[in-house]
Amino acid sequence: HTVTPSTNVFALTYCGCFHLYHKLPSIVPESCLLILVGLLLGGIIFGAEEKSPPVMNSDVFFLYLLPPIVLDAGYFMPTRLFFENFGTIFWYAVVGTLWNAIGIGISLYGICQISAFGLTDITLLQNLLFGSLISAVDPVAVLAVFENIHVNEQLYILVFGESLLNDAITVVLYNLFKSFCQMRTIKVIDIFAGIANFFIVGIGGVLIGILLGFVAAFTTRFTHKIRVIEPLFVFLYSYLSYITAEMFHLSGIMAITACAMTMNKYVEENVSQKSYTTIKYFMKMLSSVSETLIFIFMGVSTVGKNHEWNWAFVSFTLLFCLIWRALGVFVLTQIINVFRTIPLTFKDQFIIAYGGLRGAICFSLVFLLPPAVFPRKKLFITAVIVVIFFTVFIQGITIRPLVEFLDVKRSNKKQPAVSEEIYNRFFDHVKTGIEDVCGHWGHNFWRDKFKKFDNKYLRRLLIRENQPKSSIVSLYKKLEIKHAIEMAESGMISKVPSSVSLSDYHEGKIKPLSPAEMENMREILTKNLYQIRHRTMSYNRHSLAADAGEKQAKEILIRRRHSLRESLRKTNSLSRERPAAANTKRFLSLPKNTKLPEKLRVRNKTSSRVGDSSDSELDAATTVLNLRPRAGKILRDQRLRPQRPLPEFRVEWKNEVDGSQDGRGEQQEPSTLPQPSIGFRQPLLTRPRFGTLSREDLTADHGPARPMPPPRLVRQASQGDRQRNKPENQPY
Amino acid sequence: MRELADRTGFTSEQIEHLHRRFKQLSQDQLTIRKENFDSIPDLEFNPIRGKIVHAFFDKRNLRQESDGLADEINFEDFLTIMSYFRPIEMNMDEEQLDRFRKEKLKFLFHMYDSDHDGKITLQEYRNVVEELLSGNPHLEKESARSIADGAMMEAASICVGQMGPDQVYEGITFEDFLKMWQGIDIETKMHVRFLNVDTIAHCY
Repeated sequence: HTVTPSTNVFALTYCGCFHLYHKLPSIVPESCLLILVGLLLGGIIFGAEEKSPPVMNSDVFFLYLLPPIVLDAGYFMPTRLFFENFGTIFWYAVVGTLWNAIGIGISLYGICQISAFGLTDITLLQNLLFGSLISAVDPVAVLAVFENIHVNEQLYILVFGESLLNDAITVVLYNLFKSFCQMRTIKVIDIFAGIANFFIVGIGGVLIGILLGFVAAFTTRFTHKIRVIEPLFVFLYSYLSYITAEMFHLSGIMAITACAMTMNKYVEENVSQKSYTTIKYFMKMLSSVSETLIFIFMGVSTVGKNHEWNWAFVSFTLLFCLIWRALGVFVLTQIINVFRTIPLTFKDQFIIAYGGLRGAICFSLVFLLPPAVFPRKKLFITAVIVVIFFTVFIQGITIRPLVEFLDVKRSNKKQPAVSEEIYNRFFDHVKTGIEDVCGHWGHNFWRDKFKKFDNKYLRRLLIRENQPKSSIVSLYKKLEIKHAIEMAESGMISKVPSSVSLSDYHEGKIKPLSPAEMENMREILTKNLYQIRHRTMSYNRHSLAADAGEKQAKEILIRRRHSLRESLRKTNSLSRERPAAANTKRFLSLPKNTKLPEKLRVRNKTSSRVGDSSDSELDAATTVLNLRPRAGKILRDQRLRPQRPLPEFRVEWKNEVDGSQDGRGEQQEPSTLPQPSIGFRQPLLTRPRFGTLSREDLTADHGPARPMPPPRLVRQASQGDRQRNKPENQPY
Repeated sequence: MRELADRTGFTSEQIEHLHRRFKQLSQDQLTIRKENFDSIPDLEFNPIRGKIVHAFFDKRNLRQESDGLADEINFEDFLTIMSYFRPIEMNMDEEQLDRFRKEKLKFLFHMYDSDHDGKITLQEYRNVVEELLSGNPHLEKESARSIADGAMMEAASICVGQMGPDQVYEGITFEDFLKMWQGIDIETKMHVRFLNVDTIAHCY
């Protein structure tokens, strides 16, 4: 009674400690160590209680431990890559698994016929059943191992996608052969029924998943009043899809994967940022826990009296697994390469074959065998355990050196950027256009069609505030928000530039960007890409996008300060034509975005505590310059479009603007501020960034050499405490 | 036919297929003009339609020495343009791959650089982004503009890195362009399948 819980606690704390020693995960995949721990524990329990330790209950595994892992994997799967390679994945999953299952089954049967091994009582059907359950590539094991080796995404998605999709085949074959074993006679019609069953199982599972995914998305459309339980819906519906599919004997894994992928697209836009974070972290937590438990239980269950050793059977099983896998991948690749535009090289094939790891699914399936029909069940268990241990330990440990030895293309760790997003988009359109010209319906055509359908019907139905989105713009928005948060969050580290120093600034001086700063900015860009297409570069259970560090925020602020100087100075040069100056850093534009106020308000509360007075002062000034124009713009937008009104934050802004200035006229003025952005180098030509001003306005406003804003800035600074805390911190 | 195949790298089957398509587009004439592209219905929805059509007539893409736009292109030119989108073959060596990649990137570069001066200036970049986002009626021009600015700045930092205080970043040259695409293997992405598919009769 206390043994099992204490086991779990021990295991989990161990898992945590494992990551503290950094080198270890790179050498040995976590799964190996977990199994070892399990073995140890099993040994202890066995020794202490003199009976077999609790074997992992198949029910527990299939109902509670497996779904979180698959959900996590499905939710964060790079869908675009998945669908681009879908044909190949499907081919490997279906035909590959069939090939393996039947191949292993038949060859084992051949071995069993040799009377010297004492295995003659195992029938063909039993062998086939054994073959079908042992050929299942396991997503848990694949994830555990591939997590650390960072192969390129294409390879990863092939192996991982295969491991997910082959569940359909495995389920069908397993049930098929099991029922065949129990039937007296088998007619041909039964075989065809079996084949039909496959389609039903696979497609049915996917349909259930998609249906429930839509229901979940639809539900979240209405949850903006009850944000707290939004994560609950995500988990509930996905689990519901799994259970429903299992109830109808369909493929639960495929259902939950389909559900997760569907939900991901729509739910993400409906739920609040906090809910999204909660979902993310909770999912990762659940899946980590499940994975740990699975491997430990596997270790524990190994110890005990469930075994029957037979050299021939076990060794030949292992041998055949390896041979048939290699053969299968090789042959199948030759066939599928004809249809692929980018053929798979030998290296790829090797990794795919080598990455076919078996894990807990076969383990549980073997325990589910009814002993009445399978008198040699213990033999099967032993063989399965040996194969699993081999794949997890030997293959798991050696795959990393092999990947390095073979110089397999690794995942591209380059930080994505806005420009890349633009290029990719441009690219897609070019390809689609060329395909249209060619008259060829390629991938892009279908994707385009789906997107149109999606935009026209699905999004309208499932998303609360549906505005046609561009991934470029949303990426941009997100990074702006992030930037704004960071700005507000950390205090400025230097004093306000005085008017004297400002006027000293010569024209034409551009602040160069150091690589470090660029790096920081790139990091920021990346963080926000977690939600955009190329989101998970390589799937990693244990790390999500890291949070911005202090140093980084300070860097940003340094740049901001410089940019302020720049911007203030540049106003008079706006009217002049600048030759294609491109040295602008990011601009903080905030098109209608309602999430900002929420966050800013929260964030700035903390910031006003942190940092000394000078910090908050300049911070305030900064943010004033920063956001006020936006406020003006937002206000204007409010009038122009019926929007969901921003919370009272806006009103405070307005008051502040009106109160401290001359009212409406002044409101224009901040907008004339060319770039309250971080350190741009040269002003761009026309900077009516915030919606209202045209060139004429700008030139009109800035006749005098002395730019307008500095007075404001100076005034803020010099007005001291009166202005300092009152308006700036108010909106927050 | 044989020399066409050799020059552009297509198989004769693909050339036939493309020829059929060419005839459809040109309505059995020998050359295609810009207006012929209007007959492709799906192309209407493509936001950068103008640039794509323009690319077909761009003399730089047609490997002619001169500059500017051709008025009409014949089948050979059509094939030349299409050859930019050939998938890579297994038997290509490093040098060929590199050349192939450069060619593809050059094609893209020409699409960005509309005034043919060898540089992508900020205005051109903005143009591109505005066109890209033009399908989205809710987006204001400033967003597009600021995005372009931001991207340009990123490009500047990649290409030039540390800039002196008086430097002005003129525009993205082809070398810079190459640098930016370094991480992305364009040769595997920039291809269209030229399988023998029945042409969808778009234009009647």
